[in-house]
Amino acid sequence: MNKTINLFLALSFSLLTFGTFAQQPFTIYFNHKVGNEVLQLMERSYSNSFGEPFIVNRFRYYVSNIHVTDINNKKTVIDQYYLIDEADSNSKTIKLSVPNNRIKQIEFALGVDSIKNVSGVQTGNLDPAKGMFWTWNTGYVFAKLEGQSDSSHIASHYFTYHIGGYKPNENAIRKINFSIMNREWSNTFSINVDLLKWFDGNLKLKINESPVCHVPGKLAMQIADNYSQMFSIQQ
Amino acid sequence: MKKLFIITFLVVLVTVFISWTNYSFKPKPVKFFIPKEWPQPIYDFKRNPLTEEGIELGKQLFYDGRLSKDGNFSCASCHQQFAAFSTYEHNLSHGYNNSLTSRNAPALQNLAWVKEFMQDGGINHLDVQPIAPITNEHEMGENLDSVIAKLKTDAAYKKMFKAAFGNEEINTQKIMKALSQFMLTLVSANSKYDKVMRGQASFILPEQLGYDIFKKKCSSCHPEPFFTDFSYRNIGMPVDDYLKDEGRKKITGLASDSLKFRVPSLRNVAVSAPYGHDGRFFSLYNVFEHYRKNMKPDKYTDSLVKNKLLLSNFEIGQLTAFLYTLTDSSFLRNPALAPAGYEITPIFIHNH
Repeated sequence: MNKTINLFLALSFSLLTFGTFAQQPFTIYFNHKVGNEVLQLMERSYSNSFGEPFIVNRFRYYVSNIHVTDINNKKTVIDQYYLIDEADSNSKTIKLSVPNNRIKQIEFALGVDSIKNVSGVQTGNLDPAKGMFWTWNTGYVFAKLEGQSDSSHIASHYFTYHIGGYKPNENAIRKINFSIMNREWSNTFSINVDLLKWFDGNLKLKINESPVCHVPGKLAMQIADNYSQMFSIQQ
Repeated sequence: MKKLFIITFLVVLVTVFISWTNYSFKPKPVKFFIPKEWPQPIYDFKRNPLTEEGIELGKQLFYDGRLSKDGNFSCASCHQQFAAFSTYEHNLSHGYNNSLTSRNAPALQNLAWVKEFMQDGGINHLDVQPIAPITNEHEMGENLDSVIAKLKTDAAYKKMFKAAFGNEEINTQKIMKALSQFMLTLVSANSKYDKVMRGQASFILPEQLGYDIFKKKCSSCHPEPFFTDFSYRNIGMPVDDYLKDEGRKKITGLASDSLKFRVPSLRNVAVSAPYGHDGRFFSLYNVFEHYRKNMKPDKYTDSLVKNKLLLSNFEIGQLTAFLYTLTDSSFLRNPALAPAGYEITPIFIHNH
């Protein structure tokens, strides 16, 4: 008899717990675009706002430290590092599990926090073998945009932007923040990512003038400021 | 019914076996030895505890040419035990496809006390340091994915990774942590100098005179017990026309860091010639000549040396006698640091 009561109590307790902490799936899609066109690697030629033609060979970036806030101001922090890579379509979908309430805000960091830059060798998406790591000057490359353009005056007309930097005076980590209250509720969420913003922001980045950025520093921080504007919610 | 029983029995058996194999993962811990009077190490051993199996695996990797693109260049091909893990008698080292490195291979010793790596300090953790030479086209010329693919074909490695880390998976992190474990055991603290400090030996007269001069003229930048303060300094070595190596400036972007390189440790200095970040000094005598005569100070040259050092021929002789007492033959011949199956690192490890 006692056993039955215990079992009943345990069951109801677990149900109660489950009810309080009930989760829902929450999916974020990243749609890579160049202006209004869909990004296609190596296939199509695009043009930036300075009329420079270019093709894109590689486009990758780290999304980390995702914070999701629900309408009760409850924050869920997802302690994961996602490497979004145009060449790997699975990587462009992030599947999360969040509290079962309407979500009003989503924030993430574009880059990798300083702790992970100074704590030795990591694994998973932060494995240095992923090619997003400077070996000679330790640190993660937060975002990479590589391609070719007739406006570039370096070998094979390449342009290569490898943006990173975690030290206080070189900090290229950028926070991205969306309020999603003004749209119809759905637990899937599409973010448009416009590559043209890399070139045109506070910094006018002309391929002709700067075809290469491979070190942390002023130019990298300016490009990071530019590309922090590349995200927008698909309505 | 009988069938069901047999199936249940098998499931139980497999479960027991799996938990037993997991349970049996017990690598033997190794206590890191801190020499008397030395400070606490900087390396965080909690995140990578030393074990016999981990060190053994790290040593195997350190001596394995498969970490390079063509199989010819192990870590040990440029870091030779008999040269205190520098490249013996080479200004620059040989790498993949007949290339040369752009800097002199430093001795590897007492790495648990080192905060930043490379002569420009660009690498901030021992666990990520080996990635630089493995992937550099003038050194081992390989990429990490290929290294992992090659190691996976070797059944012996699978066993060693399992023994060191609990499962057979091979990844960058485990390779690097194992390499760190081995490299952390490269402790040199048993030279004649150390024995004198411990009261187990005494200097002969020239060594003692050299030690006295050393404390007056050298130890601001080369303080005991590491014989380096780990700082970066411009000592008036003009830039090499061919290498155009500006040193620390490349890392910080600061003009004031122009031509600054890390102060090297002087431990085992007698076996690690040539000297200087690019090996331009053939012998210790050339180093002394630099400090007393040849240096070309610029506006960023260190204030401690910019007026050159007054050194007589007598003093140079005595300093040399003292510096030779920093040779630690028990380190250079320690069989535990030689490749598996050898008492000391065989000379053929250097075949370039």
